Amino acid sequence: MPKSYPETLVLTRRVLAGLIALNVLVGLFIFALLIATIVAADPVMNALGLKGAISYMGIRAVMVMGILGVLITHVVLTGLRAIVETVKHGTPFVAENAARLQTMGWAVLGLEAVHIAIVLIANAISSQQLPINVKLELSLTRLLVVLLLFVLAGVFEQGSRMREDLEGTV
Amino acid sequence: MSINVKLDDMLHSRRMTLTDLSEEIGLTLANLSILKTGKARAIRFSTLEAICAALDCQPGDLLEFNPAQRGETDINELEKPV
Repeated sequence: MPKSYPETLVLTRRVLAGLIALNVLVGLFIFALLIATIVAADPVMNALGLKGAISYMGIRAVMVMGILGVLITHVVLTGLRAIVETVKHGTPFVAENAARLQTMGWAVLGLEAVHIAIVLIANAISSQQLPINVKLELSLTRLLVVLLLFVLAGVFEQGSRMREDLEGTV
Repeated sequence: MSINVKLDDMLHSRRMTLTDLSEEIGLTLANLSILKTGKARAIRFSTLEAICAALDCQPGDLLEFNPAQRGETDINELEKPV
């Protein structure tokens, strides 16, 4: 029988659903923009006010990185949603959640890599007409999140073993 | 599993059904079934005490150790580390 389902989790589910949808929309938008810069490069760049000011390949590279970021974010958000579902069903300590948390840990690390790549590309395509100088900052908070996810994966693995043990106890 | 639970025999000699026992000691029929069919991995002393009180017997009347069955693993135990 499912245990009580805290209100914070109800809220979390709703927020997650919204974030997942928003992320997909952002991804589709960047993808559409990317296609536009390929099939109609000059008009699009003109509209963005970037015609002649900056490397088209550079902009496209940033967009590709953006899409990659969206995909990775999707993995993290859907993983978290799946974990919240198991809490709703009263069985959070399962091996699948340990695997999900580990995947999420690597995903957030990947997100950090994407962030670094975007900064490097942006600084590389900086031109006189459009100077870009973004500082490369390693976020301690994001790295802490990565560590937290890996630690939780270990905790959930232990928890799943303990639950299995308990299930056979009368 | 080399520990056998002789719940059937005890219930029979006390003229009780599994349902009767379940109602008497407050353990679910599902859990008692797990115990009866040898699927249990562990039993709490509190459960053992309740069963012995209800059936007026000793733990030894309920549990039997069969060394010949040692090493026979339940399929569920195969992936579990010791």
